[in-house]
Formats: sequence, structure tokens, C-alpha cells
Amino acid sequence: MLALDRVARSFLWQELITGFGLTLKYMFKRKATLNYPYEKGPLSPRFRGEHALRRYPNGEERCIACKLCEAVCPAQAITIESEARADGSRRTTRYDIDMTKCIYCGFCEEACPVDAIVEGPNFEFAAETREELFYNKNKLLANGDRWEREIAQNLAADAPYR
Amino acid sequence: MDSLWTGTIWPLAVIVFYILLIAVPLMVAMAYLTYAERKIIGAMQLRQGPMTVGPYGLLQPIADGVKLFFKETVIPTGANKIVFVMAPMVTFILALVGWAVIPFGAGIVLADINVGILYLLAISSLGVYGIIMAGWASNSRYAFLGALRSSAQMISYEIAIGLIIISVLITAGSLNLSEIVMAQDGLWYIIPHFPMFMIFMVAILAETNRHPFDLPEDESTLVTGYNVEYSSMTFALFFLGEYMNMILMSAIAVILFLGGWLPPLNIFPLTLIPGPIWFILKVCFVLFCFIWARATLPRYRYDQLMRLGWKILLPFSLLWVVLTSGFLVYFDMLPR
Amino acid sequence: MPKLTIDGQEIEVPAGSTVLQACEAAGREIPVFCFHPRLQIAGNCRMCLVEMEKSPKPIASCAMPAGDGMVIKTDTPQVHKARKGVLELLLINHPLDCPICDQGGECDLQDITLFYGPDSSRFAENKRPVADKYLGPLISTHMTRCIHCTRCIRFLDEIAGVEELGACDRGEHMEITTWIESALTSEMSGNIIDLCPVGALNSKPYEYRARTWELRKTESIDVMDAVGSNIRVDARGSEVMRILPRLHEDVNEEWISDKTRFAYDGLKKRRLDVPFVKKDGKLATSTWRAAFAAIRDELKDVPGNRIGFVIGDQVDCETMVLVKDLATALGSPNVDCRQDGTKLTAAARGAYLFNTTIAGIEQADACLLIGTNPRHEAPLVNARLRKRSRMGGFKVGRIGEPFDLTYPVTDLGAGGQTLRELSDGKHSFAEVLENASRPMLILGQGPLARADGAAILALAGEVAERFGMVGDDWNGFNVLHTAASRVGGLDLGLVPGEGGLDVAGMLQPGALDVLFLVGADEVEAKGLDGTFVVYMGTHGDRGVHGADVILPGAAFTEKHGTYVNTEGRPQRAKLAVFPPGEAKEDWKILRALSEVLGLTLPLNTMGDVRRRMAEIAPSLARIDEIEPAPFGGFGVAGDIGAEPFASPLRDFYLTNPIARASSVMQECSTLFVQGGSTGATGTHG
Repeated sequence: MLALDRVARSFLWQELITGFGLTLKYMFKRKATLNYPYEKGPLSPRFRGEHALRRYPNGEERCIACKLCEAVCPAQAITIESEARADGSRRTTRYDIDMTKCIYCGFCEEACPVDAIVEGPNFEFAAETREELFYNKNKLLANGDRWEREIAQNLAADAPYR
Repeated sequence: MDSLWTGTIWPLAVIVFYILLIAVPLMVAMAYLTYAERKIIGAMQLRQGPMTVGPYGLLQPIADGVKLFFKETVIPTGANKIVFVMAPMVTFILALVGWAVIPFGAGIVLADINVGILYLLAISSLGVYGIIMAGWASNSRYAFLGALRSSAQMISYEIAIGLIIISVLITAGSLNLSEIVMAQDGLWYIIPHFPMFMIFMVAILAETNRHPFDLPEDESTLVTGYNVEYSSMTFALFFLGEYMNMILMSAIAVILFLGGWLPPLNIFPLTLIPGPIWFILKVCFVLFCFIWARATLPRYRYDQLMRLGWKILLPFSLLWVVLTSGFLVYFDMLPR
Repeated sequence: MPKLTIDGQEIEVPAGSTVLQACEAAGREIPVFCFHPRLQIAGNCRMCLVEMEKSPKPIASCAMPAGDGMVIKTDTPQVHKARKGVLELLLINHPLDCPICDQGGECDLQDITLFYGPDSSRFAENKRPVADKYLGPLISTHMTRCIHCTRCIRFLDEIAGVEELGACDRGEHMEITTWIESALTSEMSGNIIDLCPVGALNSKPYEYRARTWELRKTESIDVMDAVGSNIRVDARGSEVMRILPRLHEDVNEEWISDKTRFAYDGLKKRRLDVPFVKKDGKLATSTWRAAFAAIRDELKDVPGNRIGFVIGDQVDCETMVLVKDLATALGSPNVDCRQDGTKLTAAARGAYLFNTTIAGIEQADACLLIGTNPRHEAPLVNARLRKRSRMGGFKVGRIGEPFDLTYPVTDLGAGGQTLRELSDGKHSFAEVLENASRPMLILGQGPLARADGAAILALAGEVAERFGMVGDDWNGFNVLHTAASRVGGLDLGLVPGEGGLDVAGMLQPGALDVLFLVGADEVEAKGLDGTFVVYMGTHGDRGVHGADVILPGAAFTEKHGTYVNTEGRPQRAKLAVFPPGEAKEDWKILRALSEVLGLTLPLNTMGDVRRRMAEIAPSLARIDEIEPAPFGGFGVAGDIGAEPFASPLRDFYLTNPIARASSVMQECSTLFVQGGSTGATGTHG
């Protein structure tokens, strides 16, 4: 009986028909994807996108060249050189991130004692050459200026959980 | 002078015009078949499919065409250049010439020949040459293996197709495609020959190297099979050929089993719709089944494919020929 | 030998040990801030509290002498609570600026807080700020970070001998200060940076430039003077970031001089990094091939006795081996490693070594300084003398210029006359030397470099003999060198051969056709028209003036090399960074040159060179071991001029090309030697 049942199922393409039915059913379901460049999904405040160096509200750069981010970076993507600025404060003379090396783990952000280096919400920074992805201090500070509002919001939203 | 004009040039011009009348819409149809495939498979996988070029991505096939057109044609150093370039042309031309005998409606056919079905069989058998040439001329292992698989597969399944067609022929009593269609007036052959229709659908999937029988271009084992060395327009011609073949095979399926241009029932509102529209709708349905199969079924293993062709489809269709003819003789229903 | 019980473990320690040392001997780690084994006990940080049986409160282990039968516990809840409490109090006013603090990563307070301290702060009030103090161009201060351990005060008082730091006020208001704003005048002041357990005192030139964890540490040997201080070179990438002392009880203990510590910025300035060849009367950058070709063309058909080699003060022994073999191959007897013209010869080793050894100073009970200023010529020898002097029963007499050596010195006279009187036993100090059981004398390079140097040497030998300075287990005859390469050079016999010219002779116009200056920057080759001068060295210093070909060499941090200090102790420096640009290790340059000249020396690897070195001078193969030299062979007796003895160093901070290229050293020189203001540094012209 069982054998007959199996033969019948096989000859009547039972599995095939079930499969075809399933795909047909899915065809009319709601799409799981977004029409990306025109629609965007929600981002967590913890999203780790493009890096930025922030400033204090008075325009002073936050980074104090402690090099903790450089030390913690597992991909060794960060290069920092520092010296005393004319006013005696500790500042970077060079702050480079090789975005082609970066693995976006967010350790730099976690290591930073002054919330200077952050990974902002921007993930659309594809470039046409590798050189454009070797970020220097100016580029990172410019990113910070550009994204400060979003970054500050994200940090504030995430602050209770830190 | 006069006879040259009326006897040669004018008829030639008319034929060219008709050819263009068939070929140009076919090209467009083929282009949008790729779009439909991406959209339908996307929908079945809960994706959007192409959305960026034009509204709802409608201009995507044109963008693809332009892109392929402007790409560099790379001919491998070790390739046999002439054969290498000829192969895609052969594939494409053979996919086009089959359309000469396809009736789109009552009397709407370029060449209403009496051996239409034989012609189609001959043309589709030749299709394997393009692939063999491509595989051999590429001078590449992947391409060559792909071509071998493809030819073995096409030959195997053509036998089954041939036997299925015989079943239909002895029922219709004609090799002329229009007459086969007219013989189905009132009762489409899908009803008496339902098992054969299903086998035919399976066989044309294999014949056109479509999923789940797309072993000749199996990415995971052969990179992309016989067209691995092709780029730009040479690749585009293969691509066009494959989709053109899909449409052609769908048209044959419609003619043999789904009553060609005939409406489902000969009742008032349905008969108002012209035959060609019915024909196109039915072709679209069969094409949808092609795409649907691609979205549903995983790829066969090669030995499974051969077993299916030789051990199941072939005996079964042979048996069906015997049954059909026996039935027709016994009840004396052979067409006159 | 008191016996203690520490955490249940019985241990016997030498008499005079403290409880802290006993605990350490028992393998217990006791956190400390103010305690330092080389400084007097202050007992003011209270970090070393341990529990002692029969004592109602925890005791400060660093200040408690170990007594027989003491029962000490170092791992009880009370001890932990005490440590936590002390740290909490220290951290009340210590700012949380570890991320910008140069001490971060090597900070005692950081480490100890991590292991013993509280995990959070209960102090919500404002911290007490303290104004930073000016301590000169070498030390930067962040006095808010100070935890008042007073190590710096004690170091300057006890070791460096300049009482320039002190503490004002009490308790929370206590401040470490210089009384009046002035730079520390000690030539060893940099050591307080290492001593400071927190980031209150930092190196000014190194300030904010690197973090400890990114530095590559290489153990090396200093060449700024002839002491051969053991140092650690910290480099990042291709740059030397700082130089720190390394412990060597017999040489530098754990101190180094400021010149050793801060001259490293000279390694990056005025460097020669490509070969130069003189073209149309002007030096132009060139290639090694062209430079060698120029030398080969010039050396063609020049007889050996028209070729000369002068060896500089910072040349490693490996290079000198190559010089020696190359000179032999060229047939040149004109080789000299005595740039300053000192009359020491290679013949008698005992006559050019610091035989007592630096550690041996501590056994001496009388010392005669002849024409030397050890405070500048060898600050660490001076520190030993001061250490011995502080132990008491040590009389020091000096013949030469008066100078504050930081310990009591009796000035005996100015020159040869006094020395003669002493040798005749007519001088009052003769009695001191006579009564001393282990007298020593230190002869400086100043008198030896004079024309009558050989006679002075002979007379000093007489003095040594007369007062029994040399015995079976005691050798009190010492020559104090100023050049790191000198003893090695003499050991390798780099003095003029038969009929050869010495440095002064080689520098006579027309004496030679080709002159090689191997790192020799203290001589002027200017005005030697007709002599083709090849300079091989590191800096665009005096040596390149008048050079026709310049071959860029490696500084002491950029090569593996052997240096022999004034005691005759061979030590090895290691490569910390690679030479800049096209510069090469010096011995390799000479090896390559020998091949170009068709005189290929069979020394292809460092191993070959060192085997050859051991062949010439077996003592150089025994690293860090002093081969005692027999007494004798002192110069030639003769008349001694009446001029007073003088130290050869006019400016402690600018004694060699590296220091002269260093802007930090220039600034120190301006401030301390020329008495200028810090506003204009030496580099301002």
C-alpha cells in the first residue's frame, strides 16, 4: 500500500506541484527588500558606518592623540602621529584611517575616551579609487562636521546602555 | 526590367518586410523576457528585481543591451577565431529561422509549408552545432565540457520530443502546423495527450538548457559552460539565442497542445479576441512556466538528467505512441 | 641575619634589610611609590603597608628594618583595605588624564591602581590644581599629577648632588618646586623622569610624540662618552623616539646622563643619507658606485705611505677592524684612532684603561684627579665618586681647574708642578695617599693630549707606584677616556705603524695624497689642498668640510657594533633602526670599498668580522668582561710644561656630531654653558 502510495505520488508529481505551489504563493507576498537608493531601512544608533572625528561645540577637535584606537584596531588600519601643539595641548599631527583595511568592528569608537573617533551612520562612501579611501585627518574632521547632528543623536540614544 | 521588379525585388522586399515584422517584435519580446524573468524570480524570492533603470526598472533590458554592445569583445589567444565568432551567430540565426513556419493566427504565417513540424525538428537539431562550435573553438576545458554536456543532453531529449510529436501527428494527421492547430478546434490536444504535454514541457526545458537542466552552463562545476570565453556581443548573441529558443519552444508547445491561436471555448466573448492575441497569451503562459520552474527547482545532476531522458521519458513516450495509434486504429478514428 | 616569617614562609635576609626587601626576597610583590632601592627611604606614600603580628596597625614595610622573629602578612583583608584606601586618597587629586599622559602604559600608579585600587571614585568635589613648574628644556612638568613621593627630590640631593628641588607646604598643598624658577643644572637630571612613578615629570623632547606600547625596544650601548652606559633605544618605525637607561650595576647602575638621554634628536638632523662626490669644487649628491669609482681612481698609483686613516670617537670596533685590514692591504702605516692627539699608546693596555673599574671606585678610600672633570667627561663615573664620597672616609684631591663636582674636593694645584711635588712626596696630599689603603688616581685626557702628554703619563705612573696604588688585588691607576671608540681602537692597535704619521702629522698640508676620515669630526681637514679627503660618517659636521668624497654611514643606533668602554669592557650595541636613505653600516662600506679597490677583504659577514676582531684582540670577544691589564709601560719621562691642566671638554652638551646636531643639546648648551636664555636656541644661528 505504501509502495503504491509512493508510486502514485511520484507519477502524479506531488512534490513538484507542492513546490510550484509554494513559489507561486510567495510571488504574491510582500517583498522583503527595499528599493534601495530611493527607500532606506532604519539604522540602529549603534550602526557602524563611515568614520568621523568630532569636535567640541566650540570648534576644538576632540581627539587628544592618546592612540588607544590605534592600539586596539585589530586591522591596524589607523595611523597616528602626535606632538604638543603650540598651546601645549596634546594633538595629532596625523590621523589616517585606511578604510580598505578597516573591518568596521567599532573598537576604535569604544576605545576613545573623549568620543572623538566615531563610526557614523553613513555607509554610502564608495569611491572609484583606493586612494580616496585612505582617509586623513582633514577628511575625518570634515566627516565629523557633516554628520555631527546624526552622530550626536545616535550617541545620546545609545548612552543609557553604555 | 519589369519582370525583375515584379518577379524578384518586390517579393524579396515583401519577404524582408515580413521577416522584420516577425523578428523585431521577437527581439523586443526576448529582451522583455529577460526582464520578466528577473522580476518574476525576484517576486518569488521576495525581492524587488530590477528597479533602478526607468520606472520599475522597465528600461533595464535596454541598459543591459547597451552595456553588452559597448563592451570589448575578447577573443582568446588559443581560440579558433573564425569558428569562435561563427558559433554565436549560428545559434542566434537558427533560433530565428524556426519562426518562419510558426502560424500566429489563421493564415498568418510566413511560410505555410506542409512539412512545418519536420522543419522545426531539423532546425532545433541544428541548434546543437552552435554550442559544439563554441565549446570547441574556445579552446577551454570548461567550455568544451559544457558543449559536450549540452549536445548529449539536446540529442537525448530530442528523441523524446520526436516521439511526442509523432503522437500528436497521428492524431492530427498532418505535418502542417496550421492544420495541426485547426485539428484541435473543439478539443485541444492537451486533454487527450495530457501526459505527453507534461513530458513535452520537461523535454523543452532540457532542449533549451533551462533550469533544472541547465547543466551546460552550471556555474558551480563549469563556471558558465560553453560560453565561458565569450564576452560583449558574442555573448549577447548566445543569450539572445537561448531566450529566442525558449519562445520558439513555447510557441511549438502552444501549437501542438494548446490549440495555437484558437480560443479556449468557441463561445461569444472569447471569439471576439483575435487569434494572434490568444496565441501570444498562451506563449506567455508557457514562458511563465519556464521561469516558474527556474524559481522552483534545483539543478539536476548529469546522470539524473540522462536517466530521466533515456529511461523514463523515452519509454513512456514510445508507449504512448503505441497506445495512441492502437486506440485510433481500434476505434477507426484515424484522420483522413 | 634576621629570620622572618612572611605569609607563613620562613626567610632569612641580610642584616640591614627592610621588611619590604624581605617580602620581595620571599617572592611577595609589595606595591610602592616612594621607595627606591638606590635612594634613601622616605616612607611617605604609605603604599607598602603590610600587617605585622603584635603591631596594632599596618606598618610601612619600606621603612621598617627586618627584625628577627617578625611575622609579616601581606595578603590579608586589612592589607588590601589599607592599599585600597591609600590609592583612593592618592587618586583624589590625581587627574584622570591617562589618555594624554606620556606615562600612560608604564605608569606605576596606573598599574598599582589596576591591581590593588578601588574600582570607582567616591570623590565628587573638584580636584586640586597645581601650577606646572619650569625645570629647564629637558623636563616637562604636570604637577597636578604629582603624588609627592619625593623620589625626584631625593635623586637630585643624593645621586646628582644638586639640591635644586624641594617641597613646599604640607598635606594637600604640598608642591614639588625649584624654589626659584630655574632649570635644573644637573647633567643627570633626566633620570628623575624615569624615577617619577606618575606622569608629573616627563621628557620634554619626547612629550606627546609616542605611546609606550608602540615603541620597539632595543638594548644597546651609549657612545656619548666612554662609560658605555647600557641603554634601551625605543624606536617607532624608522625613528628613535627616546633613549632610556638599562640596569648594569657595574657601569651605569640605572642612570644615564642627559646627553645620552636627550641627544637622540641629533640622529634625525643633518644626516648624510646619500654619497657625495666633489665636482668642480662643490660637493654634489652621487651614487655609491660613483663615489667608490672616484676613490678607486684617486688611489691608483698612490703609495701606501701617502694614504692615511683617522678614526673618530664613535666608531664601532667592527669598523676599526676593517680599517686596520684595509690599511694593511693598502700598505699604509698611517692609521690613528687618537683624534685629540692623546699620547697614550697601544703598547701597554694597563696604561690606558680605567683599571679600578667604575664599580671599583666604591672600594677606594682616596682619589687623585689629574686634569679631569669627571662630572662632564663621564657623569656616571662622577656619580660613583659622589656615591663613594657620601659613604664617608673618601678624600678627593684634584690637580687642575676647580669645578663643582658635587662632592668635597681638595684643590691641590693647577698643573705639572703640583704633580711633581706629589710624586716627590712634598705635597700635603701625599700624606693622604700614603695613609690610604686603596688609593686611586684618575688621569684625564686634557693633560694627555698636550705635547708633554707622554711625560705626564709617566709622572702619573710614578705617583701610582710611589703611593702603592697598584697591588695584587687593587689597581688604582685610571685613565678616563672621553671617546667611546678610543679603548677599542687602542686594543685593536689602531696607532701609527712603523714610520707612520699620527693625526697631527697626517693633517699637515702635503703629508698625504689620500686621507680617510672614518667618523672623525673633531679634526679639521680644511686647507689640505692636494690631499684627497674621504669622509665616512653620519652627520654633516666638521669632518665633511674639505671632504672630496662623502660616504654616508650608520650611527650607533643603526648598526650592530662592539664598543669598549673606558674600563676595557666590550659591550655590544644592537641595531634599533635602519640607517637613513642610502647610508650603510660602516664595516660593509669598507668591505665593499676593498672589493672596488681590488683588495677584497675576506670578511663577508658580521661573524667573520668578529672572528677577525677576536684574532687581533682576544679580550674583545669576551663581552661584558674586563680583562685585567698589567701595570706598567707608562709613556716617556720628560719635562712637563707649566701650563695648568685642563679638561678637554669645553661644552658638555656638544661633544660629538650627534649632540651637535641635536637642537635639544644646543638649547642646553646655550642655557647652561653659554649662560644664555632659552629664547634663542643654538639652531637660531
